Amino acid sequence: MTKHLKIIDYAVSSLLRRKFKNGAIMAAYIGTVAALASVLFLTRSLQTETTALLQGVPDLIVQRTLGGRHELIPVDYKAGMAGILGIGTITPRYWGYYYDALTKANYTLIGSGGETAPLTMLEGRLPQTPDECAVGAGVAALRHSGRSGQLILVDSRNTGVLFEVSGLFTSESDLLTNDLVVLTDRSLIDFFGYPPGLATDFAVSVPNSSEVQTVAAKIKKLFPDTRPITKRELVRTYDMVFNWRSGMMLTVFSAAVIALCIMAWDKATGISAEEKQEIGILKAIGWDTSDILALKFWEGLIISLTSFLTGVIVAYMHVFFFNASLLAAVLKGWSVLFPAFHLTPSFNSFHLLIMAFLTIIPYIASTVIPTWKTAITDPDSVMRG
Amino acid sequence: MALIEVDNVVKIYNPGLADELTAVHAASLSIEAGEVAVLTGPSGSGKTSLLSLIGCMARPTSGRILVDGKDVVKLPERFLTNIRRQAFGFIFQQFHLIRELTVLENVLLPLFPLALGTRTMNERALSILERLKIDNKKHLQVKKLSGGEQQRVAIARALINKPRIIIADEPTAHLDRKLAQEFIDTLDQLNHEGKTIIIATHDPFVHDNPLVTRSIVMRDGQIERIDTK
Ligand SMILES: Nc1ncnc2c1ncn2[C@@H]1O[C@H](COP(=O)(O)OP(=O)(O)O)[C@@H](O)[C@H]1O
Ligand SMILES: [Mg+2]
Repeated sequence: MTKHLKIIDYAVSSLLRRKFKNGAIMAAYIGTVAALASVLFLTRSLQTETTALLQGVPDLIVQRTLGGRHELIPVDYKAGMAGILGIGTITPRYWGYYYDALTKANYTLIGSGGETAPLTMLEGRLPQTPDECAVGAGVAALRHSGRSGQLILVDSRNTGVLFEVSGLFTSESDLLTNDLVVLTDRSLIDFFGYPPGLATDFAVSVPNSSEVQTVAAKIKKLFPDTRPITKRELVRTYDMVFNWRSGMMLTVFSAAVIALCIMAWDKATGISAEEKQEIGILKAIGWDTSDILALKFWEGLIISLTSFLTGVIVAYMHVFFFNASLLAAVLKGWSVLFPAFHLTPSFNSFHLLIMAFLTIIPYIASTVIPTWKTAITDPDSVMRG
Repeated sequence: MALIEVDNVVKIYNPGLADELTAVHAASLSIEAGEVAVLTGPSGSGKTSLLSLIGCMARPTSGRILVDGKDVVKLPERFLTNIRRQAFGFIFQQFHLIRELTVLENVLLPLFPLALGTRTMNERALSILERLKIDNKKHLQVKKLSGGEQQRVAIARALINKPRIIIADEPTAHLDRKLAQEFIDTLDQLNHEGKTIIIATHDPFVHDNPLVTRSIVMRDGQIERIDTK
């Protein structure tokens, strides 16, 4: 024990003696770990967000399809479906997408009759008259329209329409509500110029969750041009969007690749003549091969463990305090609108552990193995300069 | 029984290769405890090679080497390290100190693998540094010392494990006459304390010194002659 404490002591002083080289290695190492851990943290948080988001999704969404594409659904269908056993409520929903040329961002416009996620009002209330709207925190920040502000959007007839902002909301998941603008159903229909008697889709509640599949089948039978989507299917789709497993695979894979790169680089650099001589000196004055390997092991562990922990802390700060500013643009590329996006800290310790193993072990191996050859050779070379 | 017994030892570098070279050829000698033995001969005659073999820094191609009656040639590496650590203290021609470390750290270096307490280690190192009159520089980096001071640190490091045998290769090569004399004086003292000393040198100032009890003259890898006093 004392012996290892002494060797660790010496390992630290050796590392400090090669400040420049070790500093460069640590910087590369920390950068790598920080990048990987950021991806890990971000993906995980998005997944958590998604789960929260899906809690507000109706049991069943009924869309109409025409030529395989999503079409508006006649509100009349509601009467026909109402007779199906097991159905609770049927709510026609009106919504659509809007590209705001001014801020170059996509908004989701939705009628207040059937909002999806449970919205938490930060200020004010949902719109009650056709010239009112409520906006998500992200839209508000982007357009600098707090409550009592105004929002001008260009409708389907290419006319600017002015809405009074009656409220500001957020929800458990910032992800989708952030870019949300809520209008009354009436003004949404007008705004997009939807033909009368048509809705975007129906939100259907099925009180007994075991009946969802049967209800969906019955709707499909009764109205062959519809496509009922169950909540479970939706969850699966979302899971695919952030495909966790492939994301994880990617992370694991890149971690391994990068660890290998560090190792290869280190191997290529090899141990310097100076290091070789030092090993010879240590052996000549009575260090055993195992003492030298222990020294290299501790050197490798100190570097890799410190770098790993620093990298993880940097990633944590990056993702949760700075909202993944460096990654957000890439990963969430499908929406430009994330100014006030706030991620809730969430991580999987098992994944961190895997990452630790995949970066620390190869690094230690790459420090110890090249030393091996030098450490086992006779030290008589030190007898000659 | 002699302290060191070298029996018909051969050292071939790169055996079987184009650059195969026989550095030591059929060498036999013995050194008694308490002697000051000198290996002399022209450059390239095999002094350093033979010294490495005696000091358990390398293994001979054939022949036997006995330290204290124990054949070290076939010993596993770990035991060889032990003998090297316990029996020998080395003073290298180039000193081979770690230049960025302080004097004290360099002297402590051989003690790291031993499970000694920090206080014991420091006490041992300091008493040796004092005796070599270099303790006032103990916290200075070795690279800031003069050649003579560096050699004193090298001697201190060789002594820290209390070896019975001191091995020095061309110890006066980097020293002026005055420092060489100081070195000889130090060796004299150590010899009086009972240490056996083995030096490879082609410096007449060393090999003709009255201190020397046995002089082994080498030529082309072979022992030409052994003179004893
Ligand atoms: N590691 C080595 N590999 C090959 N040849 C060596 C090696 N070390 C020494 N030699 C050769 O062995 C011969 C003896 O060298 P050495 O023992 O250093 O002699 P000395 O110390 O008397 O000058 C020289 O010709 C030298 O070039
Ligand atoms: Mg020599």
